[in-house]
Amino acid sequence: MILGHTMRLYFKLIGIRVRAQMQYRLSFWVDLAGTGLATGVEFLTLAAVFGRFGSIGGWSLGEVAFLYGLVETAFATMDMIFSGFDPDFFSQQVRRGTFDQMLLRPVSLPLQIFASEFLLRRIGRMAQGLAVWGFSLTLTHIAWTPAKLLYLPVVTVSTVAFFGGLFVAGAALCFYTVQSIEAVNIFTYGGTYMLSYPMHIYDEWFRRFFIYIVPSALLVYYPALFFLDKPDPLGLPSFAPFLAPLAGFGTLLAAFALWWVGVRRYTSTGT
Amino acid sequence: MTPIISVTDLRKEFKVFRHHRGALGAFRNLVTREYKVVKAVDGIAFAIEPGELVGYLGPNGAGKSTTIKMLTGILVPTSGEICVSGRVPWRERRAHVARIGAVFGQRNTLWWDLPVVESLDLLRHIYRVPAERYTRNLATFRQLLALDEFLHTPVRSLSLGQLMRANLAAALLHDPDVLFLDEPTIGLDIVAKERIRQFIQRINRERGMTVILTTHDLSDVEKLCERVMMIDRGHLLFDGKLADLLRRFGGERELVVDFADEVLDAAVEGAQIVERDGPRVTYRFARDAISASELISRLSARYRLVDLSVREPEIEATVRRIYEERLLDNDGG
Repeated sequence: MILGHTMRLYFKLIGIRVRAQMQYRLSFWVDLAGTGLATGVEFLTLAAVFGRFGSIGGWSLGEVAFLYGLVETAFATMDMIFSGFDPDFFSQQVRRGTFDQMLLRPVSLPLQIFASEFLLRRIGRMAQGLAVWGFSLTLTHIAWTPAKLLYLPVVTVSTVAFFGGLFVAGAALCFYTVQSIEAVNIFTYGGTYMLSYPMHIYDEWFRRFFIYIVPSALLVYYPALFFLDKPDPLGLPSFAPFLAPLAGFGTLLAAFALWWVGVRRYTSTGT
Repeated sequence: MTPIISVTDLRKEFKVFRHHRGALGAFRNLVTREYKVVKAVDGIAFAIEPGELVGYLGPNGAGKSTTIKMLTGILVPTSGEICVSGRVPWRERRAHVARIGAVFGQRNTLWWDLPVVESLDLLRHIYRVPAERYTRNLATFRQLLALDEFLHTPVRSLSLGQLMRANLAAALLHDPDVLFLDEPTIGLDIVAKERIRQFIQRINRERGMTVILTTHDLSDVEKLCERVMMIDRGHLLFDGKLADLLRRFGGERELVVDFADEVLDAAVEGAQIVERDGPRVTYRFARDAISASELISRLSARYRLVDLSVREPEIEATVRRIYEERLLDNDGG
């Protein structure tokens, strides 16, 4: 009952954001095509590199396309759902006092922030990601098993949660200093680019950083090894591909914990 | 009656960090945390009964909006207690804000892209106002605030006055126990101000709504509030009847006299001349030193008067004088 009310309210508020974006129809379509196209061009560049070298670190074009498609789709989906937590957007909300107004409404704060923005035009990037993903499937001939079919959506959702966690953690930093947002952007946007390359071409320290500090490898790389039936060059335990949900939702939960600390700091300092 | 708002020994301190400039300064900012403590609210206490309409006055940076932010639950106090309708605002945020209404200055709380009526309908869902009560309240506010002329206009196209009226309706749809108004008439023309004032007065009188009003515009206070609280530098300087405040500090009245001819010696006992402009002379006199009629009879005994008028002290000037001369500093309030 309460959950029903909350969800109805969420969709009502999201509906307003979407309708507002549709008022500028041309801008919406241009934007949608633009972000989609940018992703497409990025991938074509990658494909050109493969045309020259055949494979990178033992990975074929189709296999890299699988990584790329997964990351792009997940990031675009996250960018749409977590638009309200986008540090750029959220810091403006805090500076303009919109966040104070949220504190004055008898509705959960995360819900209000999720509902404060919803960038529908991210569908362009999402479609592009899915297209690359579909393309990869025609090249790689994955040996599908029921386990793989079941695990694929889990990995996708976990990756969405992980990227969402980066946005939420970035939003938490807004309560401390507004200037730090750029740092987070390098992290998230740089992160997607990096994740779409096979992990082991990076240096040892870099790999460790991504496995242990930013558990991206667990989210995309190891699951990809599982889906593509590739051997693990790093020799991690055989359950490594299945840690994705833990890494994804763990990151998101930790980020929200940090965010609440930020809220508490904000309400006690008001800066 | 138990008070609807009670505040005890409320304090709010802010740490203001010192920022060093330049590259070296940026590094110092990272390493050292030099700051000074600013006491925005420094031990204030008051109680407000249900149905009161209280004016909360103070110059910029006096601690007014910090107090309001703590009362509405946006800020957590450093120490002290607040109880509004039996709740501690910041501890039960959602339950608290469901029972209060707030309009903050020129800040709009409605959805920019939506027509006013849809914004209000959305608030009905947010506050879970029963349909019947919503219809009744909306009908009342449409009439009192003349919302019909812009009910279907997108919020972004409203004039400032219309925006304020729409926001007032929005803050009241859920029948709050207390209404917080921060500068509700700022930037409005006289007609719009008057409409807002009448509305505030009506909801206070007819619905018994408790209202806390902060404003720079002292004519708001003069027309609306029986009780005023004055704050400066975090301290509550005065809490009582506006009339008492003016009687104590607004002693100086002015008499403007137009003499038939220019007079050389216009001086008169009990009053001092503040301005001379040809045959027009302005006197200032203390309320308890001499009465206006006594002064007039003294003057008319000596000269022929064409016209005269008595000016009551302006509340604005009085309040400014109280702050500038720090008349209340050791008074406790």
